[in-house]
Amino acid sequence: MNESAQRRAGIAWDAVLGAIGLYAVVSGFGYQVLQENGEIGPGFLPAVAGGLVALFAAIDLVNKFRRTPQHDVFDDDAALIGDTAAITLREETELVGVDIFGRSQKQRNRMLLAVLGIIIATVALVPLLGFLISFGLMLLGCAVAVERRKWLPSLIVTVVALTATYLIFVVLLRVPLPQGLLGLI
Amino acid sequence: MLDNLLLGFQTALTLENLFWCFIGVVLGTVIGLMPGLGSTTGVAILIPLTLTLEPVTALIMLAGIYYGAQYGGTITSVLISTPGEAASVVTTLDGYQMARKGRAGAALAISAIGSFIAAIISLGLLMALAPPLAKMALNFGPVENLAIMILGLVIVVSFAGGSLARGLMMAAMGLLISTVGVATGFSNARFTFGNVDLLGGIPFVEVMIGLFAVGEVLHQVRVGAAAPIKARFRDMVITGKELKNSMPAILRGSGIGFVLGILPGAGSTLASFMSYGIEKRVSKNKANFGKGAIEGVASPESANNAAANANFVPTLALGIPGGGTTAVLLGAFTIYGLQPGPLLFETNPTLIWGLLVSFFIGNVMLLVLNLPLAPVFAQMLRLPYGYLYPIILLTSLVGAYSVSNNMFSVVLVVIFGVIGFVMKELDLPVAPLVLGIVLGPLFEKSLVQTSALGEGSFLILLQSPIAVVVLVLAVVLAAGPAVARRIHERRTSGARSRQLTR
Repeated sequence: MNESAQRRAGIAWDAVLGAIGLYAVVSGFGYQVLQENGEIGPGFLPAVAGGLVALFAAIDLVNKFRRTPQHDVFDDDAALIGDTAAITLREETELVGVDIFGRSQKQRNRMLLAVLGIIIATVALVPLLGFLISFGLMLLGCAVAVERRKWLPSLIVTVVALTATYLIFVVLLRVPLPQGLLGLI
Repeated sequence: MLDNLLLGFQTALTLENLFWCFIGVVLGTVIGLMPGLGSTTGVAILIPLTLTLEPVTALIMLAGIYYGAQYGGTITSVLISTPGEAASVVTTLDGYQMARKGRAGAALAISAIGSFIAAIISLGLLMALAPPLAKMALNFGPVENLAIMILGLVIVVSFAGGSLARGLMMAAMGLLISTVGVATGFSNARFTFGNVDLLGGIPFVEVMIGLFAVGEVLHQVRVGAAAPIKARFRDMVITGKELKNSMPAILRGSGIGFVLGILPGAGSTLASFMSYGIEKRVSKNKANFGKGAIEGVASPESANNAAANANFVPTLALGIPGGGTTAVLLGAFTIYGLQPGPLLFETNPTLIWGLLVSFFIGNVMLLVLNLPLAPVFAQMLRLPYGYLYPIILLTSLVGAYSVSNNMFSVVLVVIFGVIGFVMKELDLPVAPLVLGIVLGPLFEKSLVQTSALGEGSFLILLQSPIAVVVLVLAVVLAAGPAVARRIHERRTSGARSRQLTR
């Protein structure tokens, strides 16, 4: 994520958290902050925690608009090590262009969305296909469609992973995994 | 003490506990060397598998994963310059350089030996310190407990890195998340939105699996695979001279690691960086640091292992987790129906001492495993991440389901996975959020009790000398770094302006 995109996302995050915090404050008063005898009530912690979330989100937001330089743990590390080694390390660990498979950042962003979509679809499919079949499709989908791996090894990995899951969770731990409307496994 | 140690050995040396300890350290090593899978993730994913075990056996296995991962993290740091654990980041500096010079074997060997020595030293200190601290904490009432929890939160925020406001924001968010469900000490349901599944609160294991496992997978998918650089194992033997030269670094690293590890939140990562920095200043071989100095591997590796054990001092004695993984372990205690904290030393000495002694046994197993088998473990790196992450997702989600036999858990894991991913992308500290969620119910209980004791007034906090000292310490720790930074900035700008006027 480049700096401006990260800044925009940070602002959105602070705004969402600030709103959640304010909602918690209002709800806290609804739940009763103080009891009649003056002792704290069930709304005290939600109100206080919500207020603090909103307050610190606002402070973080103000810091962003003032473009306060971020105090970064890597800076501390660099200072501790006392040379440029940690800074070099930072450069190495941050995103730089294409990965070893030649995939650009844009492609990887699309992969991320695809993986998220597959996870959500998997969870939605469980009531119909059952847990193991849905998650088997997830494994295959991630390996073949997202990672462009070959069919056969992907299928083998999927079957091995599902068999291990079945043996550990269903046979050994006796977890009743949902079988869905199909009722197969 | 001797009776307790004997009890610990009797517990840890049963065939079942030895077996699960072995499984834990092997899994920990594998988990530690997989980039993107850390000890916290590993423990969170595997908690559901331990639900059928006896609590002591389950905790022995989970703890094995924790310190096993410290060993495993080193292998990737040395071989492919990609730390499997945050605490092994600094090991890449000299470990990788050693590997490039064909000394990967020596780097891994000194790391295993240093880690073992540090683990034994820190274990001795842990056994000596935790019981008296727990005994002292037994005299604490709700007022003192409240003050200690405030201190714990402040320390975690102070050491989490990044800005103080963000750390505090995440800690408060953790407390807020912990208020979902029926209120502690009351009967009101809060933030449930009519959902029956939320009445019991947001379950801890699902949150951890989501934040750490799924969040990390999504992050890794976005980051992409890094180029592995192969290292040869031409020289697997460490020389006597190298071992001798490394001993002072190992001992210093152990001391620094233990002291920093005791502080809740400071953890292994800070310990490894700090010990490397200090070693670089005091070592006779300082010129070679960054170019493959063996002391540059020995020191941080000893420090992170010592810190990992020291993390258990506040966790076991006070019920305040020392870091991310111990926070997850603390959550595991509650899942097994145990109340972590000082009372455990009195009510369940078999569990506590069995667990502590298992650390010793586990570290012996790790030394025996890691010295000859590091290259074998390294073969795991051949499994492409494209196959690995769908398996991590499957294990995480099926694990979450098995905790409550409810698809709602799976949905929660996905939601917290996305939150974990966003937090990683925005560089937001996770530790304060985790601690807020873990401490939330206990914090609220202490708040309610303190308020009742003070008849509505929190000034009762000022009537307890212990609470006052702890709160003053919390204020100093909260404000200290900001004040120090301000002073440093003023000095730097003063020096710059003096240079300009010359």
